[in-house]
Amino acid sequence: MLQGNIDIGTIKNEVLYEVAKLAFQGELEEKKDQLPFEMIPGPQANFRCCIYKEREIIRQRILLAQGKSPSSKKDDKNIVQVISSACEECPITRFVVTDNCQKCMGKRCQNACNFKAITMSRDRAYIDPSKCKECGKCAQACPYNAIADLMRPCKRSCPVDAISMDENGIVIIDEDKCISCGNCIRNCPFGAISDRSFLVDVINLLRSDIPVYAMVAPAVEGQFGAQVSTGILAEGIKELGFDGMFEVALGADFVAASESEEWYEAYQEGKKMTTSCCPAFVNMIRKHFPELTKNISTTISPMQATAKVVKALHPDAITVFIGPCIAKKSEVLDHITEGGTDYALTFDELNAMFRAKEIELSSFGQNMQQGSIFGKNFAVAGGVTASVLQALKEKGIQADIHVKGCNGAAECKKALMLLKAGKLPEDFLEGMSCEGGCVNGPGAVLSGRQAQLNRANVLKSVDDRAIYDTVHSYEDCNITMHRK
Amino acid sequence: MVIQVCIGSSCHLKGSRSVILKLQELIQKHQLEDKISLSGSFCMGQCQKGVCLKLDEEIFSLSPDTTVEFFENEVLGRLG
Repeated sequence: MLQGNIDIGTIKNEVLYEVAKLAFQGELEEKKDQLPFEMIPGPQANFRCCIYKEREIIRQRILLAQGKSPSSKKDDKNIVQVISSACEECPITRFVVTDNCQKCMGKRCQNACNFKAITMSRDRAYIDPSKCKECGKCAQACPYNAIADLMRPCKRSCPVDAISMDENGIVIIDEDKCISCGNCIRNCPFGAISDRSFLVDVINLLRSDIPVYAMVAPAVEGQFGAQVSTGILAEGIKELGFDGMFEVALGADFVAASESEEWYEAYQEGKKMTTSCCPAFVNMIRKHFPELTKNISTTISPMQATAKVVKALHPDAITVFIGPCIAKKSEVLDHITEGGTDYALTFDELNAMFRAKEIELSSFGQNMQQGSIFGKNFAVAGGVTASVLQALKEKGIQADIHVKGCNGAAECKKALMLLKAGKLPEDFLEGMSCEGGCVNGPGAVLSGRQAQLNRANVLKSVDDRAIYDTVHSYEDCNITMHRK
Repeated sequence: MVIQVCIGSSCHLKGSRSVILKLQELIQKHQLEDKISLSGSFCMGQCQKGVCLKLDEEIFSLSPDTTVEFFENEVLGRLG
């Protein structure tokens, strides 16, 4: 039941939890229609205008938790979806004059406007929405900062301009443009955008007799507390019904080794290249800079490399990636023919599963490490570069390689524009769509300072194995590291 | 041409992975890699008809055994 002063995260997590619980009990189909009424019993509304709207939001979120589109009107394949009942239809008049206006004599706003949209009303300037072209010159010109830029938070946060509004002001996401980065999900103050989930599919398969293996992203350390090592997590994951857990840091070591060879070759040929591990960054190139597709490293992602190792060891296994990333779900769908990862979940979805099965992670203890510290650092901006350089060092290769680290989608876009224009001074481009790296991904349970502190504590016990130690220990798996 | 194969748990258990593999082989055999994009899809909500496949916004019901027939009639047929 949802009560009191609740936020967006709580609503999302409670829906995932309730859905996971019913799915584990095998009662989802029978009871899902009743769920909105149980979660919002009424008669008082908690977080929106009335219980009917709240129940509709819950109903749409239940559809998303089952991987379905929340809107009956259309069923596109996009991962990121609009919860129409939750969309507030935010004001679309972008520039608005506020109380700060002194109705001064300078009238710089009026002079700055090329479209004669600004007139003086009784006590302040007025912008005529029918004439305003949203150029923003008036806001820049005002000496009192009296003109507010009210761009919708979802639209402002989108790095690729994929967001527009329908005639009723409800958000529309252009799936041809969307790169599944998750920025709009994070930035909508009403929680009206969310991602589809494989949660129910994975639970159904866990309840079948097919072996299912979890693969946790290198960002995992610190997500479930300062004391939860991957060894402890692996025990918890087995309690959920998985047959075992692998660290994607292991696949990251393979990627660092493969990319070091690739980079060195490209460096000698004078060819510029980008990383391929961040799926939102790769989506950005494919959809918005298609001419640069040839510059993407052909090395598969750490997730796919890990999946190939798992399938080499357990040929009948189903592989489930679990990480902080929403775009990984699109990578799974787009690369289904590669025979690697079968499903992708986020950490908050994993957390919902732990809660549904009442699993306490502190009650287990065992050591486990599969990837090196370099592989684990793929989750932090700059980490991929550091690992590739380390792999070169381990091979004894000296090369004065310069890498542009792009921290966040805006930096990625800027660097790609330079690369497209042939003006990027560096040899390589490391693209990370999330600022700070995967550790700050939209599907994380915890981000910011607490997550950092936890992570530092968990990583203290990591040994000093080298990248090639990992690669050699799985040599028998004989995996191909390049896309077809 | 875009072909999406449902990879939801129900279709998975009915063999969606075999369908994908078969289609991929057929696409390679006919050298249609540039003309057909094959990807996975979330549950299409028609689990009883699985394995579900979407081609040009139309949903088809397949099994690993009927994949070749589907490919020859629908895919090659549409490509002309």
